[in-house]
Amino acid sequence: MLATTVIATPHIRYLAILPEIVLLGGGVVLLAVASLVRRQLRVRVGTLLTVAIAAGSLGVSLWQWADVTGRGGFTAIDHAVVVDGFSVLVNILVSCAVLLTALVADGYLLRERVGGAELQVLALVSASGAMIMGSANDLIVVFLGLEILSIALYVLAAFNSRREASGEAALKYFILGSFSSAVFVYGIALVYGATGSTNLAQIADFLSRNVLVHDGLLLAGLTLLLVGFSFKVAAVPFHMWTPDVYQGSPSPVTGFMAAVAKAGAFAAFLRVFLSSFGLLRADWRPVIYALAVVTLLVGAGLAVVQRDVKRMLAYSSINHAGFVLLGLQAATGRGASDALYYLFAYTFMVIGSFAVVSLIGRTGDVAHDLSTYRGLARRQPLLAVCFAVLLLAQAGAPFTTGLWAKLQVVLAAVDNGSVPLAVIAMASAALAAFFYLRLAVLMYSPAPASGGVLGEEEPGEQPVALTAGTVGPFRAGPAEQAMAEAQPQPVEELRAPAVRGARPVWAGTEQSVAVVDRLNAALLIDAETVTVDGETPASAAADQVGGDVERVEAPDPALVSKVPVPALSAVAIGLCVAVTVVFGFIPAPLVDFAHHATLLFVP
Amino acid sequence: MDQYLPIFLLLVLGGLFAGLSFVGSSLLAPRRKPTGPKVAPYECGIIPDKEPPQRFPVRFYLVAMIFIIFDIEVIFLYPWAVVFRQLRVFGIVEVLVFAAVVFVAFLYLVSNGALQWGPGRRLQPGVSARTSESTVSRITAEPPAPDQAA
Repeated sequence: MLATTVIATPHIRYLAILPEIVLLGGGVVLLAVASLVRRQLRVRVGTLLTVAIAAGSLGVSLWQWADVTGRGGFTAIDHAVVVDGFSVLVNILVSCAVLLTALVADGYLLRERVGGAELQVLALVSASGAMIMGSANDLIVVFLGLEILSIALYVLAAFNSRREASGEAALKYFILGSFSSAVFVYGIALVYGATGSTNLAQIADFLSRNVLVHDGLLLAGLTLLLVGFSFKVAAVPFHMWTPDVYQGSPSPVTGFMAAVAKAGAFAAFLRVFLSSFGLLRADWRPVIYALAVVTLLVGAGLAVVQRDVKRMLAYSSINHAGFVLLGLQAATGRGASDALYYLFAYTFMVIGSFAVVSLIGRTGDVAHDLSTYRGLARRQPLLAVCFAVLLLAQAGAPFTTGLWAKLQVVLAAVDNGSVPLAVIAMASAALAAFFYLRLAVLMYSPAPASGGVLGEEEPGEQPVALTAGTVGPFRAGPAEQAMAEAQPQPVEELRAPAVRGARPVWAGTEQSVAVVDRLNAALLIDAETVTVDGETPASAAADQVGGDVERVEAPDPALVSKVPVPALSAVAIGLCVAVTVVFGFIPAPLVDFAHHATLLFVP
Repeated sequence: MDQYLPIFLLLVLGGLFAGLSFVGSSLLAPRRKPTGPKVAPYECGIIPDKEPPQRFPVRFYLVAMIFIIFDIEVIFLYPWAVVFRQLRVFGIVEVLVFAAVVFVAFLYLVSNGALQWGPGRRLQPGVSARTSESTVSRITAEPPAPDQAA
């Protein structure tokens, strides 16, 4: 009964999907190695293997870039996969993100004493999903990539199984994510019903040759696709999961999630809407316009009132998604290249930021309150400088990639006649600059008083209680000796010598600290623990007990001590800062890269 | 529209069945309210007075995972088996790759102790066990009581 005719299988060009194969195969090999060794795999070994795999995938992607620039893009595997500048840029971006995440996660895993290679394997698999999304030329392949990306991320969100918030985040992400995936698949079905194909090029071809009299089905499908993508990129009506998931996930995972999930989803978003539904742009551009407006405003507005730094960065990532939507809304090649540049710049900024957050979070990954950042600059100047640079870059400060990213998407919007949208985007950037700067200023403001070390100083002197707490880790230093001798001086003068390394900007920030403190008190939901003008709860307590400062209740001295900075995390943060600053000063290579990527776009 | 008639009929039938079940159960069920012990868990005549005394490992969960892994593999093997002559070498290679990936997942489960029955090793030896040493040092690290400090 069975026919013996050979089923025609498509010619599979493995070179076209080599970066994906490297990541996925590397993940499988890593899992096998971790399972076969007798003891638990050492974290360092897992990190080294992951870095090697990511570097291999980066190398293959760069080779693909050379190939694509030489002879243009092409489709492969029965037109299901496309290799062009656009997809290669996404591959390079994702490879970099995996590499940096592996470095950041190393310190996290050692600190939390979690052995094994699960985190790295899941990250590799998830990243391969993002790559598939970037190079998909078929809606079904897009969906496949989306699921590979998401399912691994659901598990990664729950990775810190001993933290309740982590499980909550994973469950929330899982349920809402599956729901949005279902919506997305429904959209694919409707689009297939309307156009007769799931291939992106064939859909575009069909729409260019036919005029649909009843386009309700197509528009309904388009809307559902839009909803599915908007969920993944966390655009505003579909952003509810973002703050909880970003807060609950382990910090290195959050950085990975913000960079890779956003990049993969936006890559597919841009490709589907620009190449397949480019002719319908009159229909979807107003919707993207509205989405971008609410995403920009809600993201920036809600970030201002967050006390938890991870939640704040989550809302800021929503704000960033709004900016990338600006590039999509322009619906031009220029807009697409600006959006890609934005994603590329954002990847380094956000992974670096969450690397710092992960360090400050300490063991258990829980110390994420704004107050833990107070005085960071005095304890660890280098870490504070790096974090400040990354935050300012996210705010769009000059001489960082953040400025060029924001500038370009706004210009793309202006070029396309969406001037009000550009104005709103800039207003939201100004609003966003407030909370980035607030965190930066907080790091450079004096730390809260801590009673743990006060017994060493002469008891009974109130002014010391305001400044001496932060010098605990190096209290034997000569500066403190000098300070102890200078005790009768008033508070304001005491603060200056307490700064080691004599930062000239210090004197100027004193007033701004007071302003920010007042704003904090006015804006934050829980203003009780915020200090106003140095009137810390500790000094109030010191008033009550009189001269006996030994029993002053400090705001947990453990939180104002130095945090250990593992070497690999330092390398990752350094790389992120270097990319952000170097390409901020010399923007041309990266801008040209993104521009070339969309020139080589295969429609 | 004719082709949707069976679906519609099935919908009606489903609704009828669900509705009739409720009506029938309310007509036929005893009217007495169940007593306290009746609604308590472990209904076997003894009213439980405390929670189970200790944690016990849920091994069946991991066995179920192993089952699902191979279940899914078989689901993919069936259609391949039907047409494997037509797919020739390409089909065999692809299925072998697929089986290898599935096997690594199985390997991972086994290395994590999924098949070790009984009180085996912990799945995730992350939390350092509390020893007398750590407990004592934790207590002494606390600040002294106010009356002692004075």
